[in-house]
Amino acid sequence: MLQMNNIKKVFRTDLVETHALRDFSLQVEEGEFVAVTGPSGSGKTTFLNITGMLETFDGGTYMLDGQDVKGLNDKQRSRLRNEKIGFIFQSFNLIPDLNLFDNVDVPLRYRGFSSKERKQRIENALERVGLSARLKHLPSQLSGGQQQRVAIARALAGEPRFLLADEPTGNLDSLMARQVMQLLEEINQQGTTIIMVTHDSELARRAHRNIHIVDGQVSDYQDLQPVLEVAEA
Amino acid sequence: MFKYYLMLSWLSVKRTPMLTALMVLAIGLGISVTMTVLTVNYLMGKDPIPEKSHQLFHVQLYTYGKDRSNPRSADGYPYQVTYQDAMNLSRSEIPNRKTRSLQTGYSVIPSSSDSSPFMETARAIDSDFFAMFKVPFIYGGAWESSVDTKAKQVVVLGKEINDRLFKGENSVGKQVNLNSNLYTVVGVIDDWQPAIHYYDLNNNHFGDTQQIFVPFSLLPVLELPSWGNNNGWKTETINTYQDKLNSEQMWNQFWVELESPQQKEKFQAWLEGYVEQQKQLGRFEHENAGGSLKDVVEWMDYNNVVSDDNTILVGLAFMFLAVCLINTIGLLLAKFLRRAPEVGVRRALGASQGEIFVQHLVDVGLIGLAGGTLGLLLGQLGLWGIKQLYANYHQLVYMDMTLVVLAILIAIGSSVVAGLYPAWKICRTNPSIYLKIQ
Ligand SMILES: Nc1ncnc2c1ncn2[C@@H]1O[C@H](COP(=O)(O)OP(=O)(O)O)[C@@H](O)[C@H]1O
Ligand SMILES: [Mg+2]
Repeated sequence: MLQMNNIKKVFRTDLVETHALRDFSLQVEEGEFVAVTGPSGSGKTTFLNITGMLETFDGGTYMLDGQDVKGLNDKQRSRLRNEKIGFIFQSFNLIPDLNLFDNVDVPLRYRGFSSKERKQRIENALERVGLSARLKHLPSQLSGGQQQRVAIARALAGEPRFLLADEPTGNLDSLMARQVMQLLEEINQQGTTIIMVTHDSELARRAHRNIHIVDGQVSDYQDLQPVLEVAEA
Repeated sequence: MFKYYLMLSWLSVKRTPMLTALMVLAIGLGISVTMTVLTVNYLMGKDPIPEKSHQLFHVQLYTYGKDRSNPRSADGYPYQVTYQDAMNLSRSEIPNRKTRSLQTGYSVIPSSSDSSPFMETARAIDSDFFAMFKVPFIYGGAWESSVDTKAKQVVVLGKEINDRLFKGENSVGKQVNLNSNLYTVVGVIDDWQPAIHYYDLNNNHFGDTQQIFVPFSLLPVLELPSWGNNNGWKTETINTYQDKLNSEQMWNQFWVELESPQQKEKFQAWLEGYVEQQKQLGRFEHENAGGSLKDVVEWMDYNNVVSDDNTILVGLAFMFLAVCLINTIGLLLAKFLRRAPEVGVRRALGASQGEIFVQHLVDVGLIGLAGGTLGLLLGQLGLWGIKQLYANYHQLVYMDMTLVVLAILIAIGSSVVAGLYPAWKICRTNPSIYLKIQ
């Protein structure tokens, strides 16, 4: 469970002060699939980064699984991120000179698993995204959709409670985008809470809940639960 | 985790081979210069006979007249002793071993007529000299101690001259013609090349050791000349060799071996008694008149074996290393910042700042190791160059294990120091900046 109350984030440069988030409040329940939409520059990425503790904030409170994030030091935050959060990015962000196996291995290394356990998890994760035959391939040898699936495998290998996706389909054509979306839905059904930033309203509609951010604030949200129920029916 | 970091470092080397090569070269150059200078300095200052350097004492006597002193020595004592003092000192029964010593020289006349005579420095000493300074023999040994009082024309040869005169055969019992006098060979010593001629710091500190050793007792008999320093302070008329022996000229050296502090104390007391006695006889008129014992290490220190110039050179070498390292810092920053996006990903996946920091330090350590190895190789080249330039230094230009380990440690240590700032910088950067795509 994730709860933000009156979060404030200001970026200061020599010339300007940007209020990326203001009075931002949000609660996400266990198992939800939340789609975040909003115009460019409205603060969506900032929100995800704060959620993933990659970015600090200037005011308000943020509780992650009942823990107040504000009081944690870098090591504790990194640990928490490593154990509970998986990240997926628009540009995949695979490490170019590591093969698929070693890419998926990255979060597990910081977790301190034994090599046997890591191997097991890597193979499972790549299997889950349908790429278990390509352990030794480099990212550059894959298509965009495949790379994003590797990134998803990497995010999932440590079995995080939350998956944060920043426009995961933004660089993919619509067919690949739908495949990735399908994969995310499966993952969500198995219990992982997902927060996904997207521009694609069609994909957003498939989530349980839509949050619209304008100018650093949640402007409104539509509960799409009924739509989903219809789809499932 | 360390193995993981090593693997990542290797990948990063492969990704930026040129940049890495430049850094290895910078560190290698710095290390090679530092190690070349340090090697010479270290071997100069190294205890040449650690197992007994605190039992061998060089004896000095303040024999000057009123208002006289040695302006170059730290305590005003003369470096050498007079012949009469050398004779008197050798009468003390307290030391286990003792030797008078003088650098002299000969014209060596080979027996076969096809080789021509040559000049060779020699050392006139007592029989104890060899055991005191642990001189190794191949054939025979020192002459009998009775020769120290009753002169005999015997000689101990160095390996090199024995090779030359006798083709390396056992020459004990054979005869050598020195200055047209025949000497009987009693021993041949092995190649004995202490880096420092600590047993005679009045003459050259470095270089080849003597190849001819003869009894000191031959001095008055054959009137052996001094081939070393002579110092005098008194106006004396010296016409004959006998005049020189009776004079206040200082041209001999005296060493004793004293096993324990008690023995040293006893000998020191004996020395003071001797000084008193000489005062009665009208010598030692200076108010500081006395005797001084300095062990090998003190004696080397006293003679500035490692000169200030050398120390300055070491300082300069380390400064050069610092310049190389500053360059390395710049290159490291470039290398690390290029990797910032990857660091961003690692941070997002749960790496802490500490883990990123250590990963980069391992990276730098590896570069340091490579730089150190290169530095050692280049350092050998530097030492070889010194050897070509200064023949006297050839005992001072090899790296022992201590130096090799030291070189690697300095290389890794200094590159890690150079890497601290870049590693700190990269681990502190905000990962979100490198993850964002607008
Ligand atoms: N590191 C930063 N420094 C300064 N301004 C920033 C930084 N990151 C984001 N911003 C600003 O904050 C606002 C929100 O950015 P962002 O969260 O990336 O928006 P979105 O993801 O919705 O496009 C924008 O005006 C952006 O320019
Ligand atoms: Mg964004």
